Amino acid sequence: MRVLVVEDERKLAQVVCSALEAEHYDVVVAATGEDGFYRANAELFDLVVLDLMLPGRSGLEILQTLRQRHIETPVLILTARDGVEDRVLGLDLGADDYLVKPFALPELLARIRALLRRGRPTDVLRLKAADLELDLVARQAVRADRPIELTSREFDLLEYLMRHQGHLVSREMLARDVWKEPRRATPLDNVIDVQMTRLRRKVDLDGSARLIHTVRGVGFVLREGEP
Amino acid sequence: MSWWSTASIRVRLTAWYTAALSLMLIVYAAAVFVAVRQEFREQLEEEEHQIEHEDSVTPEERMEAQLREILVVLVLGLPVVVALAGVGGYVLARRALAPIDQLGAEARRMTAERLHERLSVPNARDEIGRLASVINDTLARLESSFDQLRRFTADASHELRTPLSVMRGIGEMGLREPRTPAEYQDAIGSMLEEVDRLTRLVDTLLRLSRGDAGTVRLVRNAVDLGQLTRDVVSSLGILAEERKQRLDLDIRENVHISADRLVLRDAITNVVDNAIKYSPKGSTISVRVSAEGHDAAVTVADEGPGISADHRERVFDRFYRIDEGRSREMGGTGLGLAIARWAVEANGGRISVDSAGRGATFRIVLPLAVAS
Repeated sequence: MRVLVVEDERKLAQVVCSALEAEHYDVVVAATGEDGFYRANAELFDLVVLDLMLPGRSGLEILQTLRQRHIETPVLILTARDGVEDRVLGLDLGADDYLVKPFALPELLARIRALLRRGRPTDVLRLKAADLELDLVARQAVRADRPIELTSREFDLLEYLMRHQGHLVSREMLARDVWKEPRRATPLDNVIDVQMTRLRRKVDLDGSARLIHTVRGVGFVLREGEP
Repeated sequence: MSWWSTASIRVRLTAWYTAALSLMLIVYAAAVFVAVRQEFREQLEEEEHQIEHEDSVTPEERMEAQLREILVVLVLGLPVVVALAGVGGYVLARRALAPIDQLGAEARRMTAERLHERLSVPNARDEIGRLASVINDTLARLESSFDQLRRFTADASHELRTPLSVMRGIGEMGLREPRTPAEYQDAIGSMLEEVDRLTRLVDTLLRLSRGDAGTVRLVRNAVDLGQLTRDVVSSLGILAEERKQRLDLDIRENVHISADRLVLRDAITNVVDNAIKYSPKGSTISVRVSAEGHDAAVTVADEGPGISADHRERVFDRFYRIDEGRSREMGGTGLGLAIARWAVEANGGRISVDSAGRGATFRIVLPLAVAS
C-alpha cells in the first residue's frame, strides 16, 4: 500500500512516516504543496495524508485540483483548525476524512485503515481473538467456552477493541466511537478507565492469558501476549 | 453661593446671560432715554426762540431733524450693545465650558496602564460632573475587565506551564543515565499523559475564547431536558458507582427546551461530574429535572464539603479553584464550571449555586420551549 504524506512540518512528517512504515506501508513524504501536488498528480497512491496549511500551495487547493482532474485517491486531511466550517469545507472539496491536530497516532492509523478498507464488505458476524469469541448478532461473548455477562456498553467496548485487534486505541477514539461523544473537553476519560477496568475483570479471568492491555499515555490494545 | 455652585450649567448659563442682557438693555434704554430727553429740551428752547424771532423753520422740519438724531443714536448704539453682549456671552461660555477641556485633557492621559486613575469631579450635580461620573464608571468597568484579563492570562500561562515543566523534567531525567526499556516506556507514557492534559486545556481555552468572541454558532433544536439529563447521568453513573455513591433521580419527562444539545450536555456533564468528584464516598447525589412556570430547571445537589459564601461568587470564574491541590489531583482543569456557565448562558439560561452548610446545590434554569 502506497501512502503519500504531504506535510511541511519536518518532525511531524517524520513521525507519521515512521508510524506508517512500522505498519508496513510504503511511504512517500512531500514537504511542500507543489511537490505534494506534483506527486499526487503523477504517481499512483492508495491514500494521501494532506496537511491543510502548507507553504506555497494550500492543502485545500491541492485537494480541489486533484478532484477536478478526477484523481479519486482517498484523502485524509490534517488541520490545526477545528472550526466546523473548515472541516465542512475540506469534506465538501472531496476529502474522505479529517483529523484535527494534535492527533494521536493510533487514531491516524485507524482512520487510514478504515479508508483503505472502504468499499470492501465488512459484514462480520463473529469476531475472534485467542480463545475469546464475540457473536455480534446475538451480542454474546464467550471466553474459553464460558459465556461472559456483559452490559451493553461493555459489549460495545469489547467489540471496538476486537475490531481494532492488535492496534492501539486511544481514549479519544473510544469517546467518539463507543460513547458517541465528539468533544475532547469532557470528563469522559475517567468513565472510560473505569469501564475498561470492569471489562478487563470480566474478560481476563484468572488463569487465562491477558488480552486487554493498557499502554500508558496512549490508550488500550487488545492482543495476545504482551503489547 | 451654595445654590450657585451646585446648580447645573444650564441654569448657571441662563442666569448669567439674563443678567448680562438685562445690563446691556438697561444701558441701551438709558442712552436712548437720555438722547430723547435732550431732544425734547432743545425743542422746548427753540420754541421759546421762535416766539421771539419768528423763525422760518416749520414744526415738521424740526420733528424730522429730531427723529433723525434718535435714529443715529439707535443705529450707532445697537451694534455696540450687540458687541458687548457677544463678548459677554463668549466669556461666559468659556468659563462654563472650561471644565470640559480639562476633562478632555485628563481623559487623554488615561491609558491601559493608568486605568486606576479617575477624572476629577468638581461638581457632581452639573452636566459635566455627571459626564465625568459616567466616564469614571466606564473606567471602573474597563479596569475590572482588564484586571480579569490579566489574571486570566497569568492563570492560563501558569496552567500551561505546569504540564510543560513536568514533561521537561521527565525528559531530562530520562536522558540522564541509561535506563531499562520499561523505564523509558514509563517516562514516555507519562509525558504523553501531560500532552493529553495540555491538549485538553488548549481545546477548552479555545472554546471559551470562541464563546467570548461570539463566533460559536449554536445549533438549537428541541431538546428534552429530562432525556438529556438521563443520558448524562447514565454516562457518568459508573463513576458514582465506583465511589459507592447513590444517584437519586427525580426527572420529569417531556420538559422541552430549545437548545444546542451538545453544548448544553457539556454543562450538565460538568456539573454532575463535579458533584460526583467532590462528594464523599457513600453519599447521595440528587439530580432533579423540573418545570415551573416558563422555566425548566436541572438541580444537582451533593453532600460534599459545600462552598462558603466568599467562594460562591467565583466558582464559575476561569481557573478558580477552592482547593488548589485537591482539584488538580482529581485531574480538573479549573475550567469545568466556566464552560458550564458559558454553555448555559449561550443557551439563554442561568446557572447558580447555593450552599447552606454542608453540600452544594447547582441549579441550571432554562426557558421552556413555547409549545407549538
